[in-house]
Amino acid sequence: MRVEQLYKKSNHSWMVMGRDAERREEVIDTNHYLIQHNGQGLLLDPGGVENFSVVAAEFSKHFELANVEAIFASHQDPDVISSLPLWIQANPDLIVYMPQIWVSFITHFGVKLENIRPIPDEGGIINLAGHELEVVPAHYLHSSGNLSVYDPQSKIFFSGDIGAAMLPEDFTELFVTDFDQHTQYMEYFHRRWMPSNTAKMRWIAEVRKRDVEMLCPQHGAIFKGDNVERFLSWFEKLDLGSAWSNVR
Amino acid sequence: MGGNLYTRRMGDDYNTIFRQCVSLNTELHKLVPLAKQMHLLSSNAVSSAARAGTEGNAFRVLTQDIQLLGDEVSECIGDTQKVIGEIVKLASQLVKQFSHYMIYMDLADRLEDKKITSSTKFFDRGHHLVADELRSNNHKLSSNLGMLANLLSPIAILVKKGEYLAVCSSVEAASAGEHGVSFEAVSSMLRELVSQLRLQSARQRSLLRDLSDAIEKQQNNQRYLVYAR
Repeated sequence: MRVEQLYKKSNHSWMVMGRDAERREEVIDTNHYLIQHNGQGLLLDPGGVENFSVVAAEFSKHFELANVEAIFASHQDPDVISSLPLWIQANPDLIVYMPQIWVSFITHFGVKLENIRPIPDEGGIINLAGHELEVVPAHYLHSSGNLSVYDPQSKIFFSGDIGAAMLPEDFTELFVTDFDQHTQYMEYFHRRWMPSNTAKMRWIAEVRKRDVEMLCPQHGAIFKGDNVERFLSWFEKLDLGSAWSNVR
Repeated sequence: MGGNLYTRRMGDDYNTIFRQCVSLNTELHKLVPLAKQMHLLSSNAVSSAARAGTEGNAFRVLTQDIQLLGDEVSECIGDTQKVIGEIVKLASQLVKQFSHYMIYMDLADRLEDKKITSSTKFFDRGHHLVADELRSNNHKLSSNLGMLANLLSPIAILVKKGEYLAVCSSVEAASAGEHGVSFEAVSSMLRELVSQLRLQSARQRSLLRDLSDAIEKQQNNQRYLVYAR
């Protein structure tokens, strides 16, 4: 498991955790992000019940997790949020931000409505100890209710499954180093899991409106500097919803 | 994760409980047509008693008792199904809670290995909460099992009552002169239904014993797994 600081300036920081070597072979590798501001924490896509103890133990080395006041779920998938009941058992006052359309589904994990702050389809703002983070709609990419997060201070854009890559076991880098080489790990995932080219173009336009230094997906490697625009251009040309053509 | 082995073992225990509940429920369902047949028999007996005029007076009283027997059997089934449903619900909650308990255990081990003390107290809260829920649901499971045993125990008494009614109706049939033939037909049918009820009652007692053993085994295993670590 690798934990690295992506950004740190005075009272504000971003940390990423990924490449869990301990995970069972059949479990997809996931990245988890922790934003700290003024001593308070926000966890982005904290992960599945399978790797809760690893995520909690690793982040505990760097941050007092009792100060995590909120969790953000980009969408409803088990690898994103099935650990939620365990976080809430430890902190019954935890706030959980999630796409509005998934509220009545995610509550099946055992979370109560009083913990949930639904985010409407058009997105919004998350306030972390006085610091504002932008929530950007990413619906249909891949989930029908899907959100990204942009932090104007660090210029980090958390993209959820967008930009995800199914990396081979021997790929241990946290960042994309050779973009052209990297596309082979991304192409099938995006064409198979993401259905809408219209939604894709809308999301790309939203990202381009912002000054993005890092684009951070929930699986695979992080895009930094010029690789952010390289990814957007590659994604723009990709025909989504085209990996399965067995329609008769 | 070490917890997986324990969770799997507990999962097996709960699977056994589910299977026992399904078997018991299936057997209990077999009592539904039996109770209906008792009602039908009671209606037939009422007609026979009416045809017999004053000679059928004593038999008329017996028909009411047959109907009552059918009602009591139905009542028993209705309540037991609710309790079985509750046992299944508790067992499934316990599987989830036990899995969470083992995950917190795993986390505590990791924090201890890495000598991280800062977050230990924070996660202890979740750990204790789950342990309390486990205790409370295990207590509820035992109490529901007791309730189920109490609800099923009258069936053995109903079998005795049915046997007594069958004897009484045979006696009435013998002393009812020309109407005795139809009374005897009712009595013979009642004997058959009571014999089926006796068989069902024996099967249910055996299944209840199995369920009780499975729950006891699960609770012992859980105690061992939780306290052995």
